[in-house]
Amino acid sequence: MNCKEAILFMHEYLDGDLSEDQTIQLKQHMQQCSICKTHYAKLEKAGALVQSLKPVGAPQRLTTAAIMAQLPPPPKRTAWLKWIRRHPAASIAAVFLIVMFSSFLAMWDNSDQLVVRVSEPDQIVIEGRTVVVPEGNTIQGNLVVEKGTVQVDGAINGNLIVVDGSYALASTAHISGEITKVNQAVEWLWYKMNQFFASVAE
Amino acid sequence: MNYVETRLAKLARNGDRRAFSELVDLYKDKIFHLAYRMLYNVEEAEDVVQETFLRVYSNLHRFDENQKFSTWIYRIGTNLCIDRLRRRKQTYSLDAEVSESEGADWYSMLPSDERTPEGELILSETQEQVRKAIDALPEKYKSAVILRYLHDMSLQEISEILNIPVTTVKTRVHRGREYLRERLEKQTLL
Repeated sequence: MNCKEAILFMHEYLDGDLSEDQTIQLKQHMQQCSICKTHYAKLEKAGALVQSLKPVGAPQRLTTAAIMAQLPPPPKRTAWLKWIRRHPAASIAAVFLIVMFSSFLAMWDNSDQLVVRVSEPDQIVIEGRTVVVPEGNTIQGNLVVEKGTVQVDGAINGNLIVVDGSYALASTAHISGEITKVNQAVEWLWYKMNQFFASVAE
Repeated sequence: MNYVETRLAKLARNGDRRAFSELVDLYKDKIFHLAYRMLYNVEEAEDVVQETFLRVYSNLHRFDENQKFSTWIYRIGTNLCIDRLRRRKQTYSLDAEVSESEGADWYSMLPSDERTPEGELILSETQEQVRKAIDALPEKYKSAVILRYLHDMSLQEISEILNIPVTTVKTRVHRGREYLRERLEKQTLL
């Protein structure tokens, strides 16, 4: 072993990385070479001197509270903002649902006006809030009545839809389609959705 | 113990400020010691402590739970110190070396701060020379030596903190050690 190698081994030894075999080799070299022996002693002492420096703690004025006070205030809305960042698909779906729902609610008319939708208005008679289909009259198509009572004595060649109201059928009444009664906003929504998907299906 | 720190970091990430203040309690002295040794200036070291916690706090969501918290915070602190050392170098006027003593520049002639940290109130002449020797170390070796000798870090940990291969850490520690030996030898301390 030459001195150059020995110095490399010394550092490895001081870092605790020298194998047992190599340590023996280094020891043997240092027994013969006084220059390397003193070199090692100096390296070791230099390290020990550095370690003799005591840890220096933060000054007393640098308290934990002082450090905490410098931090930005806790963000308030991060919780759900984070959620949005983590679940982009769900967020888009939620926004879509909100828009859809609000548009349905907008369609849901809250006024208490009587609304009648029919293709042949001359076939019906309105008395107060009651829509009457007189006996002998026939409506071709659907009859939609909102916020009113329906009295059917004649015939409807289509569906009867009653929203937020009631209906009465006389024995002479004849309705070829279905009778649908919708009373709640949710039912109304359901009805609208059915209608929407039915139209899409067509 | 490491589990405790990771758990505290996770709690802090979810907005628990008390958990974060516990981390501050655990690390403020360690980071101060690191910064003080790196920069030898009380005020700058305080700034580094403050900035380190600020960065840790605002980057908690990036903390990798599989990593040791200490490695992470030491990396942030060390990088801040290295940045400051580099910025100092760029201010050329104070950078010129003092002719009579090698390795010392005008910075070491400046009174770093009237307020000496408690741990340094009484320094023997030997310790004072050792302190100066560390301060005079080239930046590359300085961080490796300080982490190795004053923070008891393994070479592996230092490599993770400085983000360099272990072999490079070894070389830096070796060269730093030789540098110190040479300087202290000149001052007949060895």
